[in-house]
Amino acid sequence: MKYTITHRTLYHYSGGVALCHNQARLLPREASWQRCRPSRITIQPRPALSAERQDFFGNRVLYFAIQDIHQRLEVTLVTEVQVLDARPFGQSSPSPAWEQACKMLREDPDPEIIEARLFALDSPFVTLQPIFREYAEPSFPPGRPLLDAVANLNQRINQDFTYDPHFTTTATPLDEVLSERRGVCQDFAHLGIACLRALGLAARYVSGYLETLPPPGQPRLVGADASHAWLAVYIPGAGWAEFDPTNNCMPGERHITLAWGRDYGDVAPLTGVMTGGGSHSLEVSVDVEPHVEAA
Amino acid sequence: MTARLATGFAMASSVGTCMPEASVAYQDHSNLTGNGLLGDYPVAASGYDEMFAAPGLLRPHWGDMARALEEIGGVELERRHSEIQRLLQADGVTYNTYDDPRGSLRHWLVDPIPLLMTGEEWAALATGLEQRSRLLNALLADLYDRRLAIRQSWLPPELIYAHPGFLPSCHQSLPAGCRWLTFHGVDLARGPDGAFRIHGDRTQSPSGAGYTLENRVILARALPMLYRDAPLRRLASFLETERATLAGMARHNPDSPHVVLLTPGPNSPVYFEHAYLANYLSLSLVEGEDLVVRDGRVWLKTLGGLRPVDVILRRVSDVFCDPLELRGDSLLGIPGLLQAVRGGHVALANALGSSLIENPGLAAFLPLLCRQLLGEDLRLPSLATWWCGDPAERSHVLANLGRLVVRSILSDGPCWDGSQLDAAARAHLIERIRANPYQFVGQESLPLSTAPVLEEGRLAPRPVILRGFVVADGDGYRVMPGGLARVSSGLDTLQASLQNGGISKDWWVLAPTPQRHVSLLRQSYGPIVVTRDGNDLPSRVADDLYWLGRYLERLDSTARLLREAFGRLLEWEQDNTDERCLDDLLDALEVPVPPVAESPRARFFSLRQELLDLMITDSEHPSSMQALFDGLLRTGRAVRNHLGDDSWRLLNRLQQSIQEPPKGLGARQARELLEEDLMLMAAFSGLSNETMPHHHGWLFFDIGRHLERVLHTLELFKLAFITARNPGLPLWEVVLTLTDNLTAYRRRYRSALHPTAIIDLLLFDEGNPRSVGYQLRRLQRNIGRLHRSVSSTYRNAEERLILEAFTTLQLADIEALATISHDSTRSSTELTRLLDAVHTPLLGLSDALTHSHFSHAEVPRQLITMQP
Repeated sequence: MKYTITHRTLYHYSGGVALCHNQARLLPREASWQRCRPSRITIQPRPALSAERQDFFGNRVLYFAIQDIHQRLEVTLVTEVQVLDARPFGQSSPSPAWEQACKMLREDPDPEIIEARLFALDSPFVTLQPIFREYAEPSFPPGRPLLDAVANLNQRINQDFTYDPHFTTTATPLDEVLSERRGVCQDFAHLGIACLRALGLAARYVSGYLETLPPPGQPRLVGADASHAWLAVYIPGAGWAEFDPTNNCMPGERHITLAWGRDYGDVAPLTGVMTGGGSHSLEVSVDVEPHVEAA
Repeated sequence: MTARLATGFAMASSVGTCMPEASVAYQDHSNLTGNGLLGDYPVAASGYDEMFAAPGLLRPHWGDMARALEEIGGVELERRHSEIQRLLQADGVTYNTYDDPRGSLRHWLVDPIPLLMTGEEWAALATGLEQRSRLLNALLADLYDRRLAIRQSWLPPELIYAHPGFLPSCHQSLPAGCRWLTFHGVDLARGPDGAFRIHGDRTQSPSGAGYTLENRVILARALPMLYRDAPLRRLASFLETERATLAGMARHNPDSPHVVLLTPGPNSPVYFEHAYLANYLSLSLVEGEDLVVRDGRVWLKTLGGLRPVDVILRRVSDVFCDPLELRGDSLLGIPGLLQAVRGGHVALANALGSSLIENPGLAAFLPLLCRQLLGEDLRLPSLATWWCGDPAERSHVLANLGRLVVRSILSDGPCWDGSQLDAAARAHLIERIRANPYQFVGQESLPLSTAPVLEEGRLAPRPVILRGFVVADGDGYRVMPGGLARVSSGLDTLQASLQNGGISKDWWVLAPTPQRHVSLLRQSYGPIVVTRDGNDLPSRVADDLYWLGRYLERLDSTARLLREAFGRLLEWEQDNTDERCLDDLLDALEVPVPPVAESPRARFFSLRQELLDLMITDSEHPSSMQALFDGLLRTGRAVRNHLGDDSWRLLNRLQQSIQEPPKGLGARQARELLEEDLMLMAAFSGLSNETMPHHHGWLFFDIGRHLERVLHTLELFKLAFITARNPGLPLWEVVLTLTDNLTAYRRRYRSALHPTAIIDLLLFDEGNPRSVGYQLRRLQRNIGRLHRSVSSTYRNAEERLILEAFTTLQLADIEALATISHDSTRSSTELTRLLDAVHTPLLGLSDALTHSHFSHAEVPRQLITMQP
């Protein structure tokens, strides 16, 4: 599928901002199943300085600084992405027993496997606690193939938890999400990651977009989409298999990948530090527009 | 596991093991007696003593020292020791403890006996330290780029990735050819076998070099007979290298690099050292809020505008350095700093991310890393260390807990001596290790070598640990010949031992021949840009100097009021004089007047209590001596290196007098103490006038003092002539005394007090340095001087305000005020109007100054809350 994605972020400040430094992780990364056309990122007011680099995880980061006094900051990204039906793992892919995967991760000297051990450790938003292991265990009976077990966990999170955009913020701790059984895609991805890491597996956080389908018979609403997040589990020696607990599925052509890291903290779409500004308000709109294939 | 154990005893023979030195029998020295200073020095049977090879058997390189010490004798040494402590205290050498609410400082303790090391032994040690710095630099370069050490399994990934010092944002952040490690502090100690082992590495803020210098300076002053012409290696050239290395890091501005020392501020435990080094190395001492990133560069906010910064000597933990990319919940840092580093526009020593290698768990892997990264064998072994993240090593640690020391891998993290744990503590620790194995290491528990320490006139052997310092020099590293020795069991860190009042020693490296004493005041290096206007003064420093002046003056007036009040109280008690003006003095001090007492005696006691409270106990009351002194000290410490050494000594004495007054003071002693305080304050401001260059810094200090003084004088005036409860002669006399004008009045008028004459002397006489007119003229002149060199958009606000106040005073109709007396309402109204008209613009002056010169006040903040 081909998409044109428009992601617009708008800040209004009650006072003038004299200086701000920002980092945007809004430019989609290349993958074997994803082709990116050149993106256009428009920043108003014009930054005095901007520079793109790759971060530790290989994500594209745009740094920019605005040095003129402003009360409004608008960042608009327009990008064209083609997602192929070519993700390396699907529902029926074979995988080793989950304990075997843990053992390989611990012991195999293959450099790629060694590097993946970073994703089995605590990270700023995901601190391991026994409760996560307890929640995960029913999905992981001895000898169950890894992908089967994770698919089951994915399904349970989807069933047990209520999607509630008013319950959590980025600061809500994960154990509260677990005890209250509610949250948003970011919380569900973090929870899945915590469960997998608690068992000794490597899991990472993926940020991106999802094409939303309008209800049958209704037109697609422009700008009503949102950023999305899911997770990926590492199959030692084979690669990363993605799961979307919010939608109880394995991501396919409708999931557009932006960036990945240990957790949300590594891939936040827009961060910044400013001087001045007073209080501020934020508007975000995302539009994932599929290209209509010529019939 | 055995391979990793090789870090311990197996390799110990590489350096200085049991030097085959021919020890000298101590008794052989003819003029020494067996029962002197050293006669019964108790050498332990099993350990290694730095001075004695065996009881009575002196190591040869201590011969001269032992003789010199015996000549001086225990009594004299104790006397010199007190002298050393006095000198250190007077120089304000302190160690600041975070947990002390009053921010009071712990004094630095130094033993007068140096620790001697032969040049040969040091040379071997230095080769090992130099190699270690090269190795750790190479390791950092690898871990923040290709990560071969991890990918090739030379290191377990968890050891790096689970350490909070691993900062993914720093990945590939240094431009090619830049160094990760510029400074390196190494803790090391000799074990019972005489071999040195490394106990830890410091890369974040390798403290101690400043204290080492100060120890050397003070000891040389107190013990000239030991230090003059002593055959010891001097430290000055090491510091010269340090300076040259920092300057050389300014790649874009090699001719006149601007190097700053970034400190967390006066609350940092080692702030003394930051100020000391900044002074010594001629660096600007700055805090995070003094710096800003614009156009991809780092700038210092100064009175004259932004001044580019090329190199930062960093004494702030790396996670607190950039809220954009490191820790988002910290606003201590400089947003955008890491990006400026990536651009190559600023160099940091040490680079951001270097705290990673303070991890003690690395010790076990260094022999292999050294072969892989440098192609060399590791010269200096570490203390045998087992990282609990490895299952086999963890079992070893848990099985041998009673013989090991367990440490957290965090710098300054907790530490447990396994042999000292009871069953419950042991079980708890095991549980913690099992829950978080990556976070712990076990280390062999090794008795340290002992060195002589002066205790009650005799020398006693005490365990010592050394901190050595290494600085980058060209392509390699250079080691300081000497360093900081301290008395320690080896369990505590430098930080902890300083907090507990640990004792330090001067570490000597002997040279073959006497070395000339080189002044530690270095010669100038390279071209120097002569600036005289002081435009480059950081705005924050200007702000602090202004408030230093204000606090000093406010403290002075409060002390004067208190002194006067105690004086009146005593006169009343003795001679039954008129005491009613005491109520007005209490009003001036903003203390409630006690209710009418049943007897004069009861009134005496309640008044005395009120005054003593304000002077000593009360620290909540904003105009109490304690609160004002806190403000004075806080601002004084923030501008530590703008004050001369003598000024600083006076401030230290004032601190003792105010914060630690004798117990159970009566009114008379209180008055005497205040007398003393006033002298110290007068000396402090006099010295500041004499020694501070009269440029910007001084101007702000002076403006602060005189603005405070004129405001206070105006208030006194109002009190005496308008709002007094008991107006009249006694109160006028009090006002003249408070402003130090009674003598001047008597000399000039040779008459009884007359209000018109008082008004003339105190308001209008511009020749009288205590008059309002004089203060206004001085303020006007100094504010004018500020503006001539500082361009500012608000430049006219202060000038307008001071002009308004001054003109009002000058235009006042003295005749209209001339008939004043306490019962004439008309002229009282006239006077009120005049005082208000002078007062109001002055109140706006402080805000105007802040707005024009210190408007850095706004701190940056996060666009989005990011912290979990």
